[in-house]
Amino acid sequence: MSKAATPPAARIGAGSRRWKLIRGNLGLYALLVPGLLFLLLFKYAPMYGIIIAFQDFNIFAGVAASDWVGLAQFEKLIHSDEFLQVLANTLLISLYKIVILFPIPIVLALLLNEVRKMLFKRTIQTIIYLPHFLSWVIISGLFLNILSPSGGIVNEVIRSLGGQPISFMTDNDLFRSIVVFTAGWKEIGWNAIVFIAAIAGIEQEQYEAASIDGAGRIKQMISITLPGILPIIMLMLILRIGSLLDAGTEQILTMYNPLVYENGDVIGTYVYRMGLGQQDYSFSTAVGLFNSAVGFLLIVIGNSLSRKFLQRSIW
Amino acid sequence: MRKSSRFVIAMVMASLMVMLLAACSSNNNGENASGAASPAGSAVSSEAGSPAASPEDKPSLKRLGVWQDQDYNAYPVAKMLEEKTGYKVQYDMLPQDWTEKLNLLMASGESYDLVSMFSDMALYSDYAQKGALIDLTPLIDQYGPNIKAAISQQSIDALKVDGKLYAIPTSVTYDINSSILIRTDWLEKVGLQMPTTTDELVAVLKAFKEKDPGGNGDQNVALTGKGDQAMFDNIVGAFGMPNTWNEVDGQLVPRLMDPAYKDYVAFVADLYKQGLLDREYVANKDATAKEKFNSGKAGAIIVHWADIPTISDALTKNVPDAKFAFVPALKGPAGKAGFSSNAGFDRLTIIPKASKHPEDAIKWINASLEPETFKNLAIGEEGKHYTAENDAYTPILPAFNDERNLANNFMSGADEQSYPLYWQARVRKNPVMFEAFDTLNNKQPDEVKIQNVLGLAPYMQQYSKSNQQLEAMVTDYTVKLIAGAEDLSGLEAFQAKYKAAGEEASAKEVNDWYANK
Amino acid sequence: MRGKKFGDLALDGGIYLILIALGLITLLPFANVLSKSVSVEWAIVSGKVGIFPVGFQLDTMQFVITSEQFLRSLFNSVLIVVIGTVASLLITALTAYPLSKRELPGMGIVIVLFIFTMMFNGGIVPNYLLIRQLGLIDDLGALIWPALISVFNLLIIKSYFESLPPSLEESAKIEGARNYTILFRIILPLSGPVLATIGLFYAVYYWNDYFNPMLYINSMSLKPLQLYLQDIVINADTSSALNGSTDNLMNVPPEGVRSATVIASTIPIVLVYPFLQKYFNKGVLIGSVKG
Repeated sequence: MSKAATPPAARIGAGSRRWKLIRGNLGLYALLVPGLLFLLLFKYAPMYGIIIAFQDFNIFAGVAASDWVGLAQFEKLIHSDEFLQVLANTLLISLYKIVILFPIPIVLALLLNEVRKMLFKRTIQTIIYLPHFLSWVIISGLFLNILSPSGGIVNEVIRSLGGQPISFMTDNDLFRSIVVFTAGWKEIGWNAIVFIAAIAGIEQEQYEAASIDGAGRIKQMISITLPGILPIIMLMLILRIGSLLDAGTEQILTMYNPLVYENGDVIGTYVYRMGLGQQDYSFSTAVGLFNSAVGFLLIVIGNSLSRKFLQRSIW
Repeated sequence: MRKSSRFVIAMVMASLMVMLLAACSSNNNGENASGAASPAGSAVSSEAGSPAASPEDKPSLKRLGVWQDQDYNAYPVAKMLEEKTGYKVQYDMLPQDWTEKLNLLMASGESYDLVSMFSDMALYSDYAQKGALIDLTPLIDQYGPNIKAAISQQSIDALKVDGKLYAIPTSVTYDINSSILIRTDWLEKVGLQMPTTTDELVAVLKAFKEKDPGGNGDQNVALTGKGDQAMFDNIVGAFGMPNTWNEVDGQLVPRLMDPAYKDYVAFVADLYKQGLLDREYVANKDATAKEKFNSGKAGAIIVHWADIPTISDALTKNVPDAKFAFVPALKGPAGKAGFSSNAGFDRLTIIPKASKHPEDAIKWINASLEPETFKNLAIGEEGKHYTAENDAYTPILPAFNDERNLANNFMSGADEQSYPLYWQARVRKNPVMFEAFDTLNNKQPDEVKIQNVLGLAPYMQQYSKSNQQLEAMVTDYTVKLIAGAEDLSGLEAFQAKYKAAGEEASAKEVNDWYANK
Repeated sequence: MRGKKFGDLALDGGIYLILIALGLITLLPFANVLSKSVSVEWAIVSGKVGIFPVGFQLDTMQFVITSEQFLRSLFNSVLIVVIGTVASLLITALTAYPLSKRELPGMGIVIVLFIFTMMFNGGIVPNYLLIRQLGLIDDLGALIWPALISVFNLLIIKSYFESLPPSLEESAKIEGARNYTILFRIILPLSGPVLATIGLFYAVYYWNDYFNPMLYINSMSLKPLQLYLQDIVINADTSSALNGSTDNLMNVPPEGVRSATVIASTIPIVLVYPFLQKYFNKGVLIGSVKG
């Protein structure tokens, strides 16, 4: 992708080789047709809606007849008083979530792979993915009780150990940690599934060969299993980085309160709380577009870096 | 870079095709009322089956209503209305979270003849101004004598957009929502009377805290509340600010700019500091606060009277001899007292431009407001669904619950004189709830019911635009003040910020209207 | 596996301990909702129900799962999940296979075109107009066709195809097998774990989707379970400003009913996973196919 200056002659040579490859694999290209039609009809056809972000959209007039406002919607977002604080919170919470929570499902999958008792393994797998199916309202309500300074089980333990009860949910310094922890609680089992499947896809012969060579289980884990799932790890990591600006709006909305807005307010919650996007399609589209553009850029960068340093890439 | 330039070309081509496709598809929305092919399966049968079914050639109407947990079409009221009005109506409903969906239905020109929605003045005015609704005045003049009799001029004025009326309202049916609910058995135990002033309230809460009449130990809470509520009903009225905007020297002023704001905040912050207000108040959600009161750990809570049945059931199970009552209007240090008194509308019924039978829609509404039909719609038949004594209607259970409980969702406008009386039958379903309702709404003197004048204000652009943000700012700031995370020395700076965020423009608009009201 | 070393035992013990602890704490929220669904209402609203039910009763659950609307919605959801998952798996595998051939010109561009739609979309209004144009309003198709390919799942399965040894196909090609034959006879049979995974992802997506049904489905008889659930559970908080009507306040479903609805509408999809797990645990024996 980066070799810009190719001599013209070589280019022609490469071109004809390309054509040969294409002609020799027309059947494979034909397989793409349904997927491309789907893409065009359901994804690209409605894409004109993005220009709403540059309009003062009137839903009754439609896109064609709405007034253009240029970048006014973006300015409204960026010039809000708290925007910098909110953006910083978004990035911090998201980064914490990636750094701390991304590796855990991988470790979990590796551990589960070491379990030989099938019934136990399946039971645990099923149990730890259960919280994924409960909404944040339910999970947050539960944590509010567990962490309550009066009667919450965590503070009962602290008290019985002679400590002072901690008001977790109203402590600005603790809020981000609580967000990261509960997000992990809810999603690690679900996020591990893809790694568990990837491990199952590794050729068994490799392990047999390693066993004969006398490699222990830990050694096998490091030298066979991990490299075997590296492609999927990189894929997941790159995609995860693409959603950097989504720090968990729904989660935080159900958990936070005015005393922790300083550290806890993220873009999504701020926009929602201030009613900025209400009935305002243009503004919400602009916020979405901002997130998407940053996300897409991060995916492209992530992919290039991964290609350069790990020789693994999505495209 | 070759690959990337190809990439750009691919993108450009894709987007060109998109534009073409889009141009064809987006042009005909709006005026295209019946463009979409008939959807497969679904409601087609009921729609297609009945165009000329009724005797006098009355068309079948399509009505969109608010969400309920039962099918409108199968509910007994639908049949009753069909018999009384002679119109066959096909009912659809919005989801609970309804604004998005209504926008799409309105914008794409779905051909509903009637849309009944919760009162959202901003949305209503938006539809009206964008030409999505039919002007009802001439239709009502021609076909709506019952409508004219049922709706007051005051309501009609409040709903006018640019001089025209686009909606038929169902007004709010009662005055007061909530107050402090207090454990009267705790009062007896600490030997105090029901408080009548804010000072007495403090004394009571102190006694609740110190004497722990519920025997709750370190989980004892005197007064609990929830974190998204910074203005405690009844207390905030005692400081002369029962509504979000209150009259100060002839002008309407929002609470944050009210001279009494400081005193109110100081009072509540002091409650918090002394531990009389739940230490966890800020983190409490609605359910957490109620759990504390229901389980007998809290002596007082601020709730709506509609919450009473659940509270009563749970509390008496947990503490069999528990008793509770709403605290009447408390007098503040300056002698003020009051509750916010509801004004305005509960629901609005509109006729979209896309309606195929606007005249019949009005005729149908008119027929539903015919006094006997309306009474049947509201509370059913005497002896079957209710018993009457003077002006008090008592429901007969379970017939009332089965056949009229959701009846108000079928209304398209309500008689402003009789409906509040009929409506109380719903509250009487539960005697404990009625008692609480009665205390607040029927037994409080009129002078403590302070009307929320903005409830009857017409749509105001600036106010409507910045209202939610301003309210969010005040709530957050006040909660921080109460919990001691901010202090009042920063009030002026915050007020300046608040003004700049839209209060100044709103206040001008609001007072221009108020002066000429 | 005879003669386990002490290190192995310790390793196993450690792993089991960690997993059991994890299982216990993640079970907590589900156990809580489950207990609420079979407890008496007064205990729930007093905050007395933790992991174990208080005043065990099954009336609430029975009330929820025997309601006509629940059963109809359940049927709709099952229909959507079955048709949607099968169709999605098919078209996703079909698309991913050529995309896994990186050496072919143009594939990179197509992948980027797909990834682009992961981040950018037209928004609610154009999508609604499209569905309307296609005549899919109030049609279960509106919930399936626009979701046929999830790019996330496409990339997972593509990545899996890339990891298969090229030698597999080469021998088949020499024997003159066509692309379709190779995909369906050689590649897919070796893709059990990944197909099970994205099959699960698709099934859960179709099951959990409530936003699209909310926009596109009008008839009560076509509503899927999640929309029904969402309507019952949403804004049950009586203080909610969204539905400020007092008559709504007086008709808020009890918390026990809400919990029972959550449980009844979650259990069916949760049970899919254990059945798929046999495909996860086998491990792939490529040698057997090769030889």
